[in-house]
Amino acid sequence: MIVCSRCSKENQDHYKFCLGCGAELPRDSSKPRSFSGPTPPGSSTSKGRTTDAPQARAGRAEALASAPQLEVDPTPVEAARSKPVAVEDPLPAELAPLGDETSPCPHCGAQVPRNFRFCHVCGDDLQADPSPEASADAPAERVSAPAVAEAPQRATARARLVLIQPDGSEGEAFSLSGGRTLIGRGTGGIFANDAYLSPEHAEFRFEGDQLVVKDMESLNGVYVRIEPDVPIELFDGSIFRVGQEILRFEAPVAPDPADDGTQYMGSPHRGYLGRIALVIGRETTGDSYPIPPHGIHLGRERGDVVFPEDGYVSGLHCRVHSEVGHVFVTDVGSSNGTFVRVSIESYVPQGTFVLMGQQLFRAEY
Amino acid sequence: MEQARNYVCTECASAVPSGHKFCGACGAGVPTEAQTLETRFFGALQMPGKARLIVVRGDEAMGEGLSYLLQATEHVAGREADQIPFPSDNWLNPTHANFLYRGEKLVVRDEGSLNGVYIRVRGASPIQIGDHFMCGQQLFRIDATPKDTSGPEADQTHFYSSPRRPSAFRVTQVLEGGMDGIVCCATEQTLQIGREDCDINFPDDVYMSPRHARVEMSGESLELADENSQNGTYVRIRGERELSHGDYLFLGRNLLRVEVTA
Repeated sequence: MIVCSRCSKENQDHYKFCLGCGAELPRDSSKPRSFSGPTPPGSSTSKGRTTDAPQARAGRAEALASAPQLEVDPTPVEAARSKPVAVEDPLPAELAPLGDETSPCPHCGAQVPRNFRFCHVCGDDLQADPSPEASADAPAERVSAPAVAEAPQRATARARLVLIQPDGSEGEAFSLSGGRTLIGRGTGGIFANDAYLSPEHAEFRFEGDQLVVKDMESLNGVYVRIEPDVPIELFDGSIFRVGQEILRFEAPVAPDPADDGTQYMGSPHRGYLGRIALVIGRETTGDSYPIPPHGIHLGRERGDVVFPEDGYVSGLHCRVHSEVGHVFVTDVGSSNGTFVRVSIESYVPQGTFVLMGQQLFRAEY
Repeated sequence: MEQARNYVCTECASAVPSGHKFCGACGAGVPTEAQTLETRFFGALQMPGKARLIVVRGDEAMGEGLSYLLQATEHVAGREADQIPFPSDNWLNPTHANFLYRGEKLVVRDEGSLNGVYIRVRGASPIQIGDHFMCGQQLFRIDATPKDTSGPEADQTHFYSSPRRPSAFRVTQVLEGGMDGIVCCATEQTLQIGREDCDINFPDDVYMSPRHARVEMSGESLELADENSQNGTYVRIRGERELSHGDYLFLGRNLLRVEVTA
């Protein structure tokens, strides 16, 4: 049951729009997840990093993650994923390249690539069935996690970063071992000539069967493509990329009122959630737009904020909106995707696109 | 038959010329109303003073249509001012502005207020980086578009930014409470503000005209031009400003019309 935030009518779970007032209903709003958010101050339990997974097999990842407080609504459903359901059990990597394997959506019947967590047609959560034993598994996973992470390096390649060329075709691939692999301009190969990569840019490693990327405090960061229709939480300073545009979310800040009780005059404040600003320099932003409570859409042609000159932005690309008091970015099915900059480190599910420097890669394992 | 041309003594019926205090024939007193040679005004508002302010849109506590005669040399306006008080407008400092005469000229002086004094632009007005102006319900600030002139990092990594387009100035919407709202960088010499089809649009501002105002750059100088908008474009004054008949001023939420009669 989804209760409409505008008119309070109760709607069935699979409805996209409210029967009462026509407002768009939050899709799967009970499980929006943060995307490598900053560790909240005072969280001494954290091991100094925050790991969140944006994608399908994130459930296990979250059981491992050391920052459960970032969960808006951590449900046992997520943890249950460590007991894979038959339908989503992936084929061995060599047999299951991205998108080739599909299975029918139980709700609408559309053929959905197996690495999708949500049906791209109807938005149905494909993995919504919790299995009862799962919650018992999770604590065990958590205990064993450090051991897995510290496991000795394996010499054999466990994953590949496949270069996606500007025309969409696949280029060279870079092998990642089971241990830690540092990449950057200094490591040469396909990374050598990219002036936008730091000499030591990012580090890849495995935690269990999950690939993790860590930003080595690089200048330009590591961006991971987010799944369509899955809200990813934004924090003050979060950066995301749409087409060629780099956007920063800024939480609302206001100066202190004057001592004599005089308030700052200005345009009507419509309860803005913050704003998004175009990054045009290290410390410099250009065009900016405040985000009203009902959110904004971004696109090349449609939406509240349009980028008519950026051919890499879809007609309607993504939206920035509020759920349960937090702000999220959600890709609405763009062709080239919405990428969120990894704040410290992030899980990289199989098939995920990763942007580093000027180049786009797909992680395969 | 005709009426006596003067005051007539009620005691002896003699004519008494105006201005006399007693009847010349019988010595009876003349009422004070008949003594004066001056014609009084019905009300103080009729007084041919030098100037006055009329509240066009105003403070809830004081009401609209109020008129303030500027008969003294200085007239302080503010939230706690004695002469021109706007007690319920918290966008005004206790002492906000002063209306005073310099010779024969009426000027308004910003008394270091937080939110300033705005005057309606007649046609176009020169404007500088840092200036504030108003259109409809919206408040704006003109800024120079910042330029990232730093080169690559020490390790020769280049910064990856969004595609940059040359821009000399930008307009920032200032929200109540002091937070910045919309920022729009001008990519050409002109930046247009209005309700629709402009560079910055406010479809839900009912006080904004479809094409309301524009900021234009010619050479190094900027100009703010009102595009015959219904409610006008207002620019914040720096220091003090000479006023003339028909000027409109915004002090906080109060819109005042200036009438100079002398």
